Amino acid sequence: MLLATLFESGVKIEHYMVLATALFVIGVFGVLYRKNAIILLMCIELMLNAVNLLLVAFSTYFGQADGQLFVFFIMVVAAAEATVGLSILVLLYRNTRSTDIRLFNKLKN
Amino acid sequence: MDALLIVFASGLISLFAAFAKKPWLVVGSAMAGLLAAIIVIIGQLQTGKAFFDFLTYEGLAFDQGALLFSLAICVLSLLIIGIGYERFKENPEHTGEYIGLLMFSATGAMIMTAYTDMFMFFLGLEILSIPIYVMAGSNKADVRSSEASLKYFLTGSFATGIFLFGLAWVYGATGTFKLIEIQMKIQEMETLSPILMIGVLLIMASFIFKVGAAPFHFWSPDVYDGAPPAVTGFMASVVKMAAFYAFLKMFSVCFGLGELMDFWNGALVVMIIITLFVGNLSALRQVKFKRLLAYSSITHVGYTLLLFVSQLDFNYSSPILWFYMFSYGFSIVGIIAVAIAVNDSEDRIDGLKGLGKRNPFLAIVGIVSLLSLAGIPPTSGFFAKYVLFSSAWASASWLVIIALINSGISIYYYLKVIVTIASPAEQEQEKIKLSPLTIAVMLVALVGTLGFSFILPLLY
Repeated sequence: MLLATLFESGVKIEHYMVLATALFVIGVFGVLYRKNAIILLMCIELMLNAVNLLLVAFSTYFGQADGQLFVFFIMVVAAAEATVGLSILVLLYRNTRSTDIRLFNKLKN
Repeated sequence: MDALLIVFASGLISLFAAFAKKPWLVVGSAMAGLLAAIIVIIGQLQTGKAFFDFLTYEGLAFDQGALLFSLAICVLSLLIIGIGYERFKENPEHTGEYIGLLMFSATGAMIMTAYTDMFMFFLGLEILSIPIYVMAGSNKADVRSSEASLKYFLTGSFATGIFLFGLAWVYGATGTFKLIEIQMKIQEMETLSPILMIGVLLIMASFIFKVGAAPFHFWSPDVYDGAPPAVTGFMASVVKMAAFYAFLKMFSVCFGLGELMDFWNGALVVMIIITLFVGNLSALRQVKFKRLLAYSSITHVGYTLLLFVSQLDFNYSSPILWFYMFSYGFSIVGIIAVAIAVNDSEDRIDGLKGLGKRNPFLAIVGIVSLLSLAGIPPTSGFFAKYVLFSSAWASASWLVIIALINSGISIYYYLKVIVTIASPAEQEQEKIKLSPLTIAVMLVALVGTLGFSFILPLLY
């Protein structure tokens, strides 16, 4: 029923804005509150994907390709970031045998 | 554009030169590339014309400001490669990767100074940041180095996410990524749309994150402490310089007009006050040398942010930022070179005791650099602070008074370190021998710190 009304009225740009904001906020809260470093990485990816969604939505709304081009750059950079992040994690895992960020506290006074 | 390509190509060459297993070859090719880039930039500044005219791209414009900042980036990268060389003679493994990453990072910094659209800004930011995540963890045997790397990576990519989200909103409000077109679109608006305001706030938050100002400064002491000293020097000088110039350009071109400027300026003023007090009061009770430097750099970020609230010089062609960041970079290079030469694994401030007896030259370099950080008159740090504060005085005099009070507080902890350097050690310690390259780098840093202020009249 709800889906049917949504399709009849058409999905507007506002819906994309709300969805992207919701995804982004989920990502931010994940980064702030989760303790597992791999989940932190996934939350950062979620934030970037929320941005991608928003950019594509605006790009279609304006009828120009700039936003969609930007999405490709974000994807490439996100892949590079994930590579570096996972290798850093492997390095730390060798020392602590865990990915819990609470164990990484050697740098406090 | 030529200098950019030269730095990138010599980074690639030094990466492949590592196969020869000779550290001097890697470091030599990187240094030769940076020297060539410096010469090309100076030539372009003199003649106003690039060596290869046909190499242009509309997303990058090497105007005078970009050239000056690229020059500073090349000089400081050269010095930092010089002070890091000793480590590779002892442990030649991974020299190529380290130097190559440093050169790529410098390339990203140069892109960030010359961008004219958001594509190039974003790519420059990431080319600058991703190598540094790796470099911060380059000391693989040390857990603290890996931990610094992870912390820098998480905060850095989090800040990138926030920046992109803000950028998406700005794109939604204006429909373009080019700086000039964003400016025109914002000027045409009758009332500011809330979408644009959200975007500007998010971009400013990511900027505050990247340069390490309060309330988003918590990562920088840990990262500065854990990373290898030469990388700390690179982060404190080159990265800050590029980030500040890039954001100064973005905020002055796109968001620096009328109502929108008042909107974000209010938030920034509060952040400057917090940054100054947090940086200084935390620095007072540090016992570790690199942590002290981290908090001192937070304070310096606070001073530099005054430029964003000064109505007079808030444009990206103003030489004040260049002068401030360059003189700050020289003193950071000097002090980091001293820290590397002392080679104290505990990294305590007390470890500097008796330095005057162990090596008088080191003590002089350390003292002059600290005086410059504190802003005591004969050094260029004083003149840089003076021009910065006097340009902010007209629009925000009460903020300058707060900054001056903080300047007074900061003299206490810099003087404490100077007194430690000058005081005799409890037991006899062996003398420190310096390699010719280290001495050359220190001499350049010393001359830069003492004589750089003579350049100031030429800029006006």
